[in-house]
Amino acid sequence: MSRIDAPLRVPFTLLFGSAALWLTLASVFSLLAKVQLLPSGLGACEWFAHGRLEAAARNAFVYGWAGNALFALNLWLLSQLGRFEIRNGWMAAIGGLFWNLALTWCTVSVIVHGPGAYALLDFPAGAGPVLAVSFALAGLWPVVAYAKRPTGHNFAAQWFVVGASVAFLLAFVLAQVTVVWAPASGVVQAVAHSWYVRSVELLWLGGSALGFGYYFVSKVLARPLHAYYLASVAFWTYFLFAGWTAPAALIGSPVPLWVQSAGVVGCVMMLVPVLLIGLNLLGALSKEGGWSRAWNSTSLRFISLGLTSILASIVLAAWSSDRAVNAALRFTSFSEGQGVLLLYAGVTMCVFGASYAALPRVSGGRWPSAAAIHTHFWASLLGAVGTVVSAFAQVGGRSPDWAFVAAGSSALLLLGHLAFASNAFATLIGGGESPQSHPAHD
Amino acid sequence: MNDRNRHSDRNRPRQGGPGPEGFSDGRLVEVHSHIARDKQEPAQGFSMTPIFVVFLFCAFGFWAGLYLTRNSRGFSASAFDLDAPVASASVGPAVFEPDAAKGEKLYLANCAACHQPTGMGLPGAFPPLANSPWVAGDEKRIIKIILVGMAGEVEIAGAKYNGNMPNVGAALKDAQIAHIATYVRSAWGNAAEPVMDVSVAEVRKALGSRGQYSPKEILEAHPLGK
Ligand code: HEC
Repeated sequence: MSRIDAPLRVPFTLLFGSAALWLTLASVFSLLAKVQLLPSGLGACEWFAHGRLEAAARNAFVYGWAGNALFALNLWLLSQLGRFEIRNGWMAAIGGLFWNLALTWCTVSVIVHGPGAYALLDFPAGAGPVLAVSFALAGLWPVVAYAKRPTGHNFAAQWFVVGASVAFLLAFVLAQVTVVWAPASGVVQAVAHSWYVRSVELLWLGGSALGFGYYFVSKVLARPLHAYYLASVAFWTYFLFAGWTAPAALIGSPVPLWVQSAGVVGCVMMLVPVLLIGLNLLGALSKEGGWSRAWNSTSLRFISLGLTSILASIVLAAWSSDRAVNAALRFTSFSEGQGVLLLYAGVTMCVFGASYAALPRVSGGRWPSAAAIHTHFWASLLGAVGTVVSAFAQVGGRSPDWAFVAAGSSALLLLGHLAFASNAFATLIGGGESPQSHPAHD
Repeated sequence: MNDRNRHSDRNRPRQGGPGPEGFSDGRLVEVHSHIARDKQEPAQGFSMTPIFVVFLFCAFGFWAGLYLTRNSRGFSASAFDLDAPVASASVGPAVFEPDAAKGEKLYLANCAACHQPTGMGLPGAFPPLANSPWVAGDEKRIIKIILVGMAGEVEIAGAKYNGNMPNVGAALKDAQIAHIATYVRSAWGNAAEPVMDVSVAEVRKALGSRGQYSPKEILEAHPLGK
C-alpha cells in the first residue's frame, strides 16, 4: 500500500461503507414508493405514504449515498493527484460519523412526521448546522489536498472536485439561512430553494462526477484529453452558469419575470460548457477505439455511460426551458425522468466507476466477485433505463402499465445495489487480510 | 457480455486501478499542465478551435442579452406573466374630467388674442363670448366653431360682425378643446354644462375635412336657445 493510500484507509472505509448502506436503504425506500403507485398499493399506513417514502429515498440517496461516497472518493482522488498524505484522517471520520447520525435523524423525522415543503431541505431545523459542520470536517479535504500539492502542476479533475466541495457548503449554508433559519419572503425562499437544489445537483454531485470523468478518461485511455486547453473555460462557464439554471424550475410561477428569464438564459448558456466538456472527454473517447477500450475497463464503462447521461440531461434541461415546451411539460413526470437521468444514470454511474478503481487501492484487496460486478452493471443500467423511460412515457398522464415498469426497474436497481454493496464490503474489509504487494503506478 | 471481455481480467479491477497501460497520476497531471501552459503561447501553430469558441461565446452572449431584455418587462419586480396585458400608466387617467382651470390656460393661449381675456371681444371685430347665446345650449355649436372656424355676416348681442375665425381647433386635441369649451361655458356669467372629450371626438369625426361654417349654416343645424 502506498504512502498516500495507507492513512486514507480508516476514514475511507467508514465513509464508503456508510455510502453503500445508504444506497441500499434509499433503493428500498424508492422501491416501496414505486409500489405505492401500483393499483394494489401497500395500503394506507401513514408511514408508508408515497410522499414520505419518496422524500426519504431522495434524502438518503443524495446526502447518504452520494454525499458519503463523494467524501471518500473526492478525498482519495485529490490525494492521488496532489501527492497528499492525510495526517488528520480522524477529522474526516468524525465528520462522517456526525453527518450520518444527523441524516438518520432526518430520515426518521421524514418518515414519522412527513416531509417539509422544500425538497432536500426537509429535515428538522436543528439538523442543518450539524450537517454543515460535519461537511466542513469531512468534505473540505479536497481543498486542503489541492492547496498543499507539492508541484505547481494542476489538472481539470482537481478544479472540478474542489469547486464542487466549496460550492456545496456555500449553497447549503445560504439555503439554510434564507429558507429555514431566517425565512425570507415567499418569493425569495422559492428562488433560494430552487437555486440550492440545482447547486447540489449540478455543482456538488455533477461537478464531482465530471471531475472523475476528466481523471479516468485520460488515465484509463492513457492519452491526454482532446483540446484540453479548453478545459479551464469549460470549468469556469460550468460553475458560472449552473446556479443560474435554477429559476427555470419556476417558470410560470409568481416570481418576477426577469428571474424566470434569467433561468432560461442560464439553461441555454450551460450548452457552452457541455460542448467544451463533450469536446474534452467524449472527444478523447471517440479517438482510436476509445469507446471499446472504455467498455473493457470496468471503471470507464460506468463513467463513460455516466458522462454521456450528465451531458444529455443538461441538453434536455436547455430544451425544456423553452417557454412553450416548458408550459407543456411543467407539471408532468418529465422533470422526474430528467432528475434520474442526471443523478442516477449520470452522477451515480460515475461514482460507481470511480469506486471500482479506488476501493482496491485503498484497501489493498481486490473485488472478490466478477459475477457481482456484472450483475451490478446490467441491473443498474436496465433499472436506470426503465426508470427514465417510464417517467418520460407518463408525461401525458400516469398509467398503471408504466407504473409496473417503474416498480420493476426499482427492483432491478435494488438487486444491482445489493450486489454492489456486498462486493464493496468484501473489498473494504477483506483487503487488509491478504495484503498484496503491488507496483506503485505513480 | 461478449467473450473478449470474459477472458480479459479487466472486468475485475485489481489493485492499481486501470492496469499497466494506464497513465500514472503524476504523469497525467504533468502532461495536462504542459498542454494548458503551452497553448497560451500562440507559437504552437494555428488552431481554429479557440476562435470558434470565442465566436460561440459571443453568439450565446448576444442571444442572452436579447432574450433577457425582451422577456423581463423592464426587470420590474411586479411583472410576473409574459402574457399579461401591459398596464399603461403613462397615457394618463382612463376617465376624462373636464377641467375649467386647464381650459382657462388653453383659452388664454388660443382664443384670447381675438376674444380678449375678459371674453368681451372687440366691438366691431371680434364678438363677445360672455353671455353669448352661441356659447350656451347645444355644445355641438361651440365645438364646431372651434374645430373648423366661422366666417360671414352675423348679429351677436345686438351688434353686427362680418369677421373670419380660423379653424383654431384643428391643431388641438379633443381633450384640450373640451377643456376650453368647458371654461368658456362656465366663465364670465355663462352657466352651461361641461363638455366631454368624447363629444369633441364625435363631432370631429362627423365633420371630416370640412371647411369653415357660415353663421347661417350653424344656426340651421343648431338654432340658438337650445
Ligand atoms: C383670429 C381671431 C379669433 C380667434 C383666435 C378665435 N376667434 Fe372666435 N370668433 C372670431 C370672429 C371674427 C368671430 C365671428 C365670426 C363671424 O363674424 O362670422 C368669432 C366667433 C366665435 C364664436 C361665436 C360667436 C360668439 O361670440 O359667441 C365663438 C363661440 C367663438 N368665436 C369662440 C372662440 C373660441 C373658444 C376660440 C379659441 C379656441 C376662438 N373663438 C378663437 C375670431 C376669433
